[in-house]
Amino acid sequence: MQMSKTGAPMRLAVMLAVLFLAACPGSAFTEKPSIEWPYPDEMEFPPLEFTSIEPVRHVLSNGLTVYLLEDRDLPLLQGTVYIKAGSIYDPPEQKGLAGLTARLTRAGGAGARTAAEVDERLDYLAALVTVNGYVLYATAEFSCLSEYAAETLDLVADILAAPVFAEDLLATERNRMLETIRRQYDDPVQVAVREFNRRVYEGHPVSLYPTIASVNAITRADVLAFHAAYYFPENATMAVSGDFNTEEMIALLEKTIGRWEGKGVEPPELPPFDRQPEPKVYYVERPLTQSVIFLGHPTLTFDNPDYPVIGVLSEIFEGNLYNEIRTRRGLAYAVGSGLSDGYRIPGILYAYAITRADATGQVIELILAEMEKIREVQITTGHANRVRDGAVNRAVFRHTSASAIAGRNAVDDLLDIDPGFFEKQLEKIQVLTPGNLLFYAFDYLRPEEVVIVVVGYAPMFDKKLEEFGEVILVELEQ
Amino acid sequence: MLKKILFLIPALLLASLPVAGSGLAEQAYRFELDNGLRVLMVQRPWAPVIHCHLMFDVGGIDEPPGLGGIAHMVEHMAFKGTSILGSLNPFREHELLDRVEEAADAYFDALQSGAPQEEIDRRHAEFLRAREEAQGVAQPNILDQLMGSQGAVGYNAYTSYDHTSYVVSLPANRLEAWIRVQADVLLDAVFRFFYEEVDVVKEERRQRNEDQPVGYLRERFLAAAFQKHPYGRPLIGSMEEIANYRTRTAWEFWETHYHPNRAVLVMVGDIDLERAKDLLERYFGVLEPRERPPGWIPEEPEQEGERRVWVEYNAEPQLMIGWHQPAYPDRDIYVLEVIKDLLVSGRSSRLYKRLVVEEQTALSVSGATEVPGARYPSLFVFYAQPRYPHTTEELEAAIYEEIERLQNELVSADELVKIHNRARASFFSVLASNSGLAQNMAYYELFRGGWENLLAYPGLIQSVTAEEIREAARKYLRPERRTVAILAPGPEKAAE
Repeated sequence: MQMSKTGAPMRLAVMLAVLFLAACPGSAFTEKPSIEWPYPDEMEFPPLEFTSIEPVRHVLSNGLTVYLLEDRDLPLLQGTVYIKAGSIYDPPEQKGLAGLTARLTRAGGAGARTAAEVDERLDYLAALVTVNGYVLYATAEFSCLSEYAAETLDLVADILAAPVFAEDLLATERNRMLETIRRQYDDPVQVAVREFNRRVYEGHPVSLYPTIASVNAITRADVLAFHAAYYFPENATMAVSGDFNTEEMIALLEKTIGRWEGKGVEPPELPPFDRQPEPKVYYVERPLTQSVIFLGHPTLTFDNPDYPVIGVLSEIFEGNLYNEIRTRRGLAYAVGSGLSDGYRIPGILYAYAITRADATGQVIELILAEMEKIREVQITTGHANRVRDGAVNRAVFRHTSASAIAGRNAVDDLLDIDPGFFEKQLEKIQVLTPGNLLFYAFDYLRPEEVVIVVVGYAPMFDKKLEEFGEVILVELEQ
Repeated sequence: MLKKILFLIPALLLASLPVAGSGLAEQAYRFELDNGLRVLMVQRPWAPVIHCHLMFDVGGIDEPPGLGGIAHMVEHMAFKGTSILGSLNPFREHELLDRVEEAADAYFDALQSGAPQEEIDRRHAEFLRAREEAQGVAQPNILDQLMGSQGAVGYNAYTSYDHTSYVVSLPANRLEAWIRVQADVLLDAVFRFFYEEVDVVKEERRQRNEDQPVGYLRERFLAAAFQKHPYGRPLIGSMEEIANYRTRTAWEFWETHYHPNRAVLVMVGDIDLERAKDLLERYFGVLEPRERPPGWIPEEPEQEGERRVWVEYNAEPQLMIGWHQPAYPDRDIYVLEVIKDLLVSGRSSRLYKRLVVEEQTALSVSGATEVPGARYPSLFVFYAQPRYPHTTEELEAAIYEEIERLQNELVSADELVKIHNRARASFFSVLASNSGLAQNMAYYELFRGGWENLLAYPGLIQSVTAEEIREAARKYLRPERRTVAILAPGPEKAAE
C-alpha cells in the first residue's frame, strides 16, 4: 500500500480518465477545468532573483558586537541582546538561577529607578522589554515606536548595566517561579517533553530542571554573582532593526548600551556530552484519556557535516508517521518527528504522538516500524526530490524580515557559527539521492537505542510497556 | 474562463486617514473577480516571499444543530486533495469511495437500529474493508507534499466561530502553485480518508478540550455564558457529534458555504500585481458563486443573574470571568478594549501590578475582549491563576474591586496616554508581519465594512474618554451580566 509520490502515475490516471470519459458518466471531475491544469510538480517557475540583505556589523567601544538593519516601512524599533547566560550554566544545586537572574534583571529596578518606576515608564512609552533565560543564552528583547527609541534604549541600557535586583522583587519572581513549578504537571505534553530531555541527556546540566528546593536555595548574592559572571558585553551580541539611520543608531547605542561595561573575560566553556543514554521506557502515570509518547536518541552536533542530512531524514520520517498514524489510521491528531538544535551538545532525533490510551502500544510499535522502514526500504526518487526541493526552496524564508536577519546574524555570532555555514548545509542537501539517504539512515536512525517516555494511564493501554524494554516508573518531583 | 479586464485601484484616497507612517494605503490594491471573490494585494518587496490568507465568512456559528464542529471537520477535509491531486486512479477511487459510503450506511443503520452485536461487528468489518480498499488508490497528504516541495511555509488552515482561513507563505516566484492547488480544492475537493479523519478529530478534541485543564474549563465556561447563541457550543463539536459525522452531511456543509463570493483573499509580499491578477482569473475565476443561504442564529437573551461553574479537575486552580459585551459596530467595543488594557496589559497595569507584583496572589492575570468571536455580541473576559496558597476567591474579589474603582473614579489623563501609545505600537506591530497584516485586512474586509477601516483602529482607541470608560464599566461589568468558571483540584490532588 505504499503510495507513489511522483506525478507520473497521476498523469497516466488523468489520461485514462479522459479516454474513458464516455464510459463513466458519474465522474463529473473530468468536466471540470482543473483537468487541464498543470500538475504542481511539473509547473515551471522563473528563478527567484533577489539580493540577500546583510546587516551592518559594528563593535561598540564596550566590546558588544551589534548587527543593525534598517527597515523604514513602519515607525518601529526592535532589538535583542543575546547573552551567554542560559540555564546550561546553572549550578546543579541552584537550578533555576539563570532564569531567575534573567527575570530579575528586568523586574528588579534599574539605575536610579525602582522596579515600579521602570514598569511605569516603559508602559507609558508602550515599549516592550523582556529578559528571558533559555538553555544556551538569555535574551533582552525590546520593541517600541521609533519616536521613543532614545528613551527606550536608555532604559534597556540601565536594565543591562545597572540592574538593582531589589530584594522584594526577588521574592516576587521567586514565588512566581515556584508556582510555575507547582503547575508543571498540569500539561501532559510539558511533562513528557521534560522527562524525555531529562532522560536523553542524563548526566549533563541540560537534563536538570528547577525544583522547589533548588529555587529556594538561590539567594540575592547568588543572583548578583551569576550576573557578574555572565552579563557583560563581550559575552553577548545584539541585533537592532527598524526605522532608523544606521550611523545615528550606532551613535545612540554607543551613548546608551555603551554604558554596559566590558570585563574582557573569556566566557566559560560548556561541559561536553559524551555518553549514550540507556534505551529504557520511562512511564509517568497520569489519569488521562490520551497518552503522550516521545521517543528518540541523541545524534550529532550541528557542526558535523552529516547533521543537515539527519534533518532531511527526520522530515521524511515525519511525513511517513503522519501518513501512517494520522491519515491512514486516525490514531493521532499530533504526530511527527524532529531534530533538535545540536548547538554545543548533540541534537536529539525524536518522534512523538498523542493518542488515545488504548492505542498506546500500537502507536509505539508503528513509530518504531516506520523508523526501521526508512533504514531498510529506499524511498522513491519523487519523495526524495520533494523533500530536497522543499529544503532548498524555503531557504528564502531566512530573509523575510529585518529583525529575523539581524537576529540570525547575532545568534550565529554568539554561537560561533561561521558565515556561509547554512549555505554549505544546503549544498550537502542538494546532492542527496534515495541511495545515499538509505546509507545515512542506516547509520543515524537507531530504533534499538531509543529512550521512550510515555505519560498516560497504563491500566487502559492496549499493550504492556514492558514489550518495548525495561520500564522505569517515574515519580514526579516538585 | 473570465477574460474581463479588471482594473487595479490603488487605494490612494485613503492616504489621508490618520495613520501617518503606515504607508499601507499607498501599497494596497483591491479588485474583485466576476464570481465575487474580493482580492486585496499589498506590495512589500522587502523580501521575495508572499503570504496568502483566504478567509471565508463561515465558521462554527453557522453549523446546523447536531452538527457541532462540522466547519472544523470540513477544514480538515480540504487538505485531502482533489480528484486529480491525491488519487492513483480517480475513476476507481470515486467508485470505492461510494462503496465506503454504502458500508458506512449499513454499519450506522445497524448501530442505530440496535441490531445484534454480531451483525454490528460484521458490518463494521465490511466498513473497515471498504475503507482499506479506497485507501489503496489514494495518496495521503499529497497537498502537504506538493506545497512543501515548493518551499511553502505554514501551509495550514484554522476555523473559528466566525470564520475559516486558509493560509500559506511562499517564495514569491511560486505563487501560482498555491493558487492552482487552492482553486482546485474549492472546485473539486475529494473527501477521501473521511472516517479516518473523524478519528483524528476525536483525538484533537481529547487533546485540546479534555486533557488540557484550560480547554476543559473554557468549554464549560462558554456553555454557561451562552445558553442560546452558538458561541456557547464547543467549536470542535461534542464527542457524540464528531462520532456521528457522515461524509454527505459534511459535503453538504462544504457545498453550501465555501464559495468565492463568501471569501476575501489577501496577498502581502513581493507581488507582481498584473501577474497575480492573471493567475487568480485563470484559476479562481472558474469557481462559481453561490448565494449565502438564509440562516438563523438565535440571539442570546439578556443575562439576568450571575452564573457560576465549578469544575473539579486534577490540576492547579484557575479562574475565568466573562461579562456579556456588544458587537461591532457598537463603539463600546473600543471602550472595553481600553478597559482591558488599563487592567491587564503591561506590568504597570492595575490588575497585573496589584495581583502579580504587589500582593503576589496570582501567577498570572490576563484579559480579552470579543471572546469567543466578534460577529455577534460576545464576552469581555479575565483569566487568572492564583499563586498557592492564595485562592480564586481572593482573585475574584480583587478583580471586582478594580472594576468598582473604574465605575466610580475617572481614569487619569496620564493613564490614557499610556493606552494611546500602546494602541499605536501594537497596531504597527501587527502590520509589521505579512501574516498579521493579511489576517487583519481579510477580517476587516469581511466583517468590518472594508479593510481600510483597519487604519482607523488606533484613532478609535485614542478617542475613548475617561467618562466613556466609567460608563461602560457601569453598563457592562455588572454582577448579573457575568459568568464565573473556576477549575480546582479534586480532594486527591488538593491533599498532595
